[in-house]
Formats: sequence, C-alpha cells, structure tokens
Amino acid sequence: MSEIDRRRFMQGAGAIGLSASLGGLMPGVAQGALRKDVPDIIRKQVPSTGEAIPAVGLGSWITFNVGNDMALRDQCADVVSAFFNAGGRMIDSSPMYGSAQEVIGYCLDKLGAHDRVFSTDKVWTSGDGLDQISETRKRWNTRKFDLLQVHNLLGINDNLPLLFRLKNEGQLRYVGVTTSHGRRTEDLIAVMKNERLDFVQVTYNPVDRKVEEYLLPLAYDRGIAVIVNRPFRGGSLLDQLEGEPLPEFAAELEVESWAQLILKYLIAHPSVTCPIPATTNPAHAAENMRAATGRLPDDKMREQIAAVIGVLI
Amino acid sequence: MTEWWDYGLADFLLFSPRVYYRLFETMNSVWWMAVLAAFVAGLVAAGMAMRHGHRGNRVILVLLSLIWAWASYGFVWQYYQPINWAVAYILPGFVIEVLLLLVFAARPLPLRFGWRGDLTSYVGAAIMVVAIVIYPFVGLLEGRDLIQAELFGSAADPTALGTLGFVLMARGTWRWLLLPVPLIWCAFAAATLWVMDQQIAYVMLIAVWLTIFSGWLDLKNGVTTRRLTKAELADPPPISD
Repeated sequence: MSEIDRRRFMQGAGAIGLSASLGGLMPGVAQGALRKDVPDIIRKQVPSTGEAIPAVGLGSWITFNVGNDMALRDQCADVVSAFFNAGGRMIDSSPMYGSAQEVIGYCLDKLGAHDRVFSTDKVWTSGDGLDQISETRKRWNTRKFDLLQVHNLLGINDNLPLLFRLKNEGQLRYVGVTTSHGRRTEDLIAVMKNERLDFVQVTYNPVDRKVEEYLLPLAYDRGIAVIVNRPFRGGSLLDQLEGEPLPEFAAELEVESWAQLILKYLIAHPSVTCPIPATTNPAHAAENMRAATGRLPDDKMREQIAAVIGVLI
Repeated sequence: MTEWWDYGLADFLLFSPRVYYRLFETMNSVWWMAVLAAFVAGLVAAGMAMRHGHRGNRVILVLLSLIWAWASYGFVWQYYQPINWAVAYILPGFVIEVLLLLVFAARPLPLRFGWRGDLTSYVGAAIMVVAIVIYPFVGLLEGRDLIQAELFGSAADPTALGTLGFVLMARGTWRWLLLPVPLIWCAFAAATLWVMDQQIAYVMLIAVWLTIFSGWLDLKNGVTTRRLTKAELADPPPISD
C-alpha cells in the first residue's frame, strides 16, 4: 500500500459527502404504512460512483431469522417500516442467515417497499455461486441487487469474478467482499489492493478498532466504500453499557443513547460509509437512524468516546 | 482464503433464544393433539421398558420409530430447519434412526427391554426420567410459559435424550447401532444451547458422556456382544445380569 497522506485522508471527511439536515426528523415508532416523504439525514458517498446513501443501514443477522412464524415476521416488517420511515435504505443479509433473506422479502412485499431499499446481500459458498445468487433473488423477490459481496472471502477465486461479470452485464450495481470479527485481514487487504472493489464490509466499533490502523485508510486510498458490521458487538456492547450515564460531551452531539453515540463514532470516520446495526425493535431501528442526524464528533471527541467506553466495559 | 474451519461455534448461531422457544410454542399450539399423543406414546413405551418381561419389546421399538418419524417431520423439518440450515444435513440421520428402530422391531430376536439393576439400568432409567418428566418443564423455572414446553416425542432434544435411555435399558446384539444418531443430535443440541447460553446444555453433555461410559462398561462386561437366547426371551434374565 502506498503511504497514505493522513492530512488528505482526514480532510476527506468534508469531501466524502457528509450532508446533514435536521428537518423535522422524529419518526417515532412507525407501524404499518410507509411515509412517502423521506427525512433528510446524513448521507455518505459510494466513492466509485458518487451515489449518496443514508449513513446508517439495517443488518439482519439473527434478528430476521424467524422462520415461518408469522407474528415474528410481522414484527420484522414493523422494524423495516420504522427504518424506512426514518430515512434508512440499506438492508444487508446473507445466505448464511437462515430464513433472514426470505423474511426480508416478506417485509418488502408487505410494505410495497422494493423501490425504497438499497439491497445488499452476499454469496457464501464454495460451490455454484450463480445458483446461490439465483436462490437469493427468489427469497428477496427481486431481480437485481444493488450490492453483492463475497461473504468472509469464501470461494473468492470463483465468486469475485462471477460478481464482476454480473456487474458488467448490468445485473448488479456494486461488488464487495466481507469479513467479520477481524478475521483474515491480510487476505482482505490483498483483495482490496488487487481488485476494483466498490464495497468492503468489516467489523468496527469503539472497542474493536484494529481496522483504523491500516484497513480503513487503505479503503479511503483505494476509493472503496466501507460497511461496518457488529457495531454493537452483536448487542453485547450495549448490554455492558446499560445503566451507565452518557458522558457529558454527548449532549453536544444531541444523542439519546449509547447506541447513537457509538453509531456517530462510526459515521464520523471519513472512510466509513454505513454501519448496519441489527434490531428486533422498531423503536430501536428509528433511534439508530437518528444517529445519522445532527452533529458528528470530531477526532478528539471520537477518541473520548472510545476511551469512555473502554473504561466502562 | 477463508475456509469452513475458520468459523467459530458462535458464528453458526443464527437465531435468538426467543425465536427458538417460539418454535415449540407454535408447534404445541398448532399440533397439540399429535404432540400429546406422541408424549403419551413415550410414557407408555417408558413404562413398558421399565418392566422386566419379554412382552412388548417390539411395541416399544415401533412406538419409538413412530415418535422419531413425527419428531423428524413435525419439528425438525417443519419448524427447526427454516431457521437452522445445518439441520438439513442431520435430518437423513433421523430417517436412518426410524428405519433402524423398525428393523430391530422386525428382527426374529428383538431387543429386550427391562430393569436389570446394574449401572447401565440406573443410567438408562435416569436419562429416560429426565427426558420425559423433567426436561420439558425446565423452561418453567426460567420463566418460559408452559406452552413452550419441549415434550418428549415431538421436540428433538428430549426425544434424542430419552432414546439414549431406552437403548441403555435394552439388551441384545447390535443395539449400539441405535446410539450414534441420538448421540450426535445430543452433541449438536448441547453446542446450540451452550452458544445460546442455556444451562440445560450441560444435561445433554452429561447424558452423552454417561451413555458412552455405560456402553463401554457393557462392552467390557460382554453384555453388548452376547446374543439373547430364545430361553432368555421367554424367561426374564436374573437381576444381576
């Protein structure tokens, strides 16, 4: 990797496409019908195209794997409804997540929201990737994904060329790769250096910060958008912080919760495009989206956030 | 590049305890008659297995076969498989267990169930009691509703657990063939429950260990390999067998 000019890297925070406006954004707990107007929230650009997407997305690991339980499927639809009404767009899933893809398809059908979603999924097989993608399309009830990623680099030698081919044929808009829990960093870096990726997905939060050292600067340098998984460490981070008062400086950021403080910490990083917290609670989905409004922390405040959380957990 | 062995156990937990226990609530509500019938069949089979006689051995095996068939299709396939894709790879084992139980029931000299008073009998009976009487209602202590009870005969975990007890209560050659599938399922279930932070996982692990230990004791004592004679089938063997 070429030496990254840190000053240019940090100045990029302004150029990467932050645009915030607070226009009356208090969506509350949305149930049922979708709002037609979309609240103004912070959006960040996908470097390869300049397309601006809302700076908080929605993950589906565990939370959307509810099988055929219709009551729980409807609860998921309420989460998606609250997410869209609060201005969200990106929903992420994987063939690994059990029934989550099918449940997302159910939610989008029920809400009539296929045109609202920035659809993000993965290919996760050492076998026939095209077969799996075809099955994934059926489950989402969609013909074209915005983004498909090679999940945890599995079968990347076959699956990455497949995704690029689909993109060239106009069947896919963006190509990416994912890892989680800080696995296979060296392999991921090699792929980021050698391939023209649009997106990369990594684990990042105020406690797991290893990606700050090299991977995030590399993504910035290479013009690769970054999706952040496990922003709350699968919920355990929020469990550990439960009951702890927010630090005084949080008032400057207009945050209501630790979840919003953590998301603001992530969004404020110039390389980060979109953290994807998962939830089963519509109110939390709306609350997470509100993190993409108002002030974002500067470098000094980000360090304070990490330090405070590091002490408390 | 990443391969399958790079994953940790927690990576394969794809659902929450809330969703998992809702499976039993939904199944118990929708199929309550079948669930109750399977539970009663299990109780009858357990009662017969505890008796010391030669009648009913084939009936026990047929009842267990029906129970495994119902648990496979009703719970594992209809309810569990949609949230846990790994189950699809284990399901053929359930089919094998159903067939094996039927084969043992059809054998000229079927297995002989009965209390013998040895260590294996104690372990077998204890596991059966835990699986049928205690396991389904442990959830009540943890604040779950009765409707979410995992009943022997329908829910896979207590069914596999109880089957270990039945096999330990039996005598006859090749009976160990009935152990691998429930043992594998119990290990799989223990791993799932452990990742979900459910203490009941230890019960499954202890049962697996006790079954293997008892089986080894029987093998060491020549019990497993000794073929039952027609006379033994007609007359109860001595308690100290």
